[in-house]
Amino acid sequence: MHNINVNGEDILKRQLELAEANRRLLSEQQVTAISIMGAIGSGKTSLIERMIDRLTSRGCHVGTIAADSAGDDDHQRFVSHGAVSINLNTQDDCHLDAHRVDHAMDHLPMELLDVLFIENVGNLICPADFPLGTAKEMVVISTTEGDDMVRKHPKIFAQTDILVLNKIDLADAVGVDPERILSDYARINPHGRIVCTDARHDKGIDELLDALGLQCTNTP
Amino acid sequence: MHEYSVAAELVNALLPQVAAVDGQIVGVILKKGEMRILSDHSLISAFEMVSEGTPLQGARLIIELVPVSVSCLTCGYQGAVEHVSDDAFHFSVPILTCPKCQSEVEMKTGRELYVDRLTVRTPMDTDGG
Repeated sequence: MHNINVNGEDILKRQLELAEANRRLLSEQQVTAISIMGAIGSGKTSLIERMIDRLTSRGCHVGTIAADSAGDDDHQRFVSHGAVSINLNTQDDCHLDAHRVDHAMDHLPMELLDVLFIENVGNLICPADFPLGTAKEMVVISTTEGDDMVRKHPKIFAQTDILVLNKIDLADAVGVDPERILSDYARINPHGRIVCTDARHDKGIDELLDALGLQCTNTP
Repeated sequence: MHEYSVAAELVNALLPQVAAVDGQIVGVILKKGEMRILSDHSLISAFEMVSEGTPLQGARLIIELVPVSVSCLTCGYQGAVEHVSDDAFHFSVPILTCPKCQSEVEMKTGRELYVDRLTVRTPMDTDGG
């Protein structure tokens, strides 16, 4: 038996190229895009609603891509908060990819937007392998998911920019020690930012916008 | 569970190249970056299914891990990083920080996914040649 060297082009190279093309388009249109990942029920949609409210009141034009395997519930919520939104059903796919984001952006008035929130499908494994071309990536976990979330999904937390610990008001009620989550994250991702929020009661949203670098000060 | 689509891309990319190979492909050696979130088990079983009926049928998919290496943006360090590990729980995560000065780094390797080489058995091998 013998070995043959193969012209081994990266199998996911196309994904990286598409993500880079998205990054260029966003930069040309001067849109700051944020990728939001996290499990189902962690509070991704509520956090985006709160951020839309803040940014819109500052005169910022916000777009959203609401990805879910089915339905348009999140999309309708974003629209009711004044965002220009597009619903993106991945059907049975467990993650968004750059190609789908590119198509979604075709249906948005990119030239009018300042900020674009891209809410990924609720999943903590697959989305990490598919960069979308955004300026920042954040992962949301809620205290109600337990204090072992970071150690159960270490790779996604090791390579994202911001950890948002949501439902911080419920930590005591569910017997979870937030410090354990935060110290796990700091150990795995020493340069990552941490923000604690309570989206339901509108707490921590300014800190989150600050961590995301979204200091929109357009005149309404 | 994106292993099946990855396996399909892998097989599709290889088929034009293996058409010219004289012999039976018995091994496909895939290099996988340490940061890739792909299950070896699922990739191997997906490869077996997707390669059925092609010249790659029966070949074994062998996955070799490419460790993370970085370049420090502050002190210029180039090389491997430290890990947070717990072997008992299949837990080993590279820490993306400079092991020398703890500054931010740029990842140089650790996200790749490509076929490095094929192992081929020719009629001469079968005859013991």
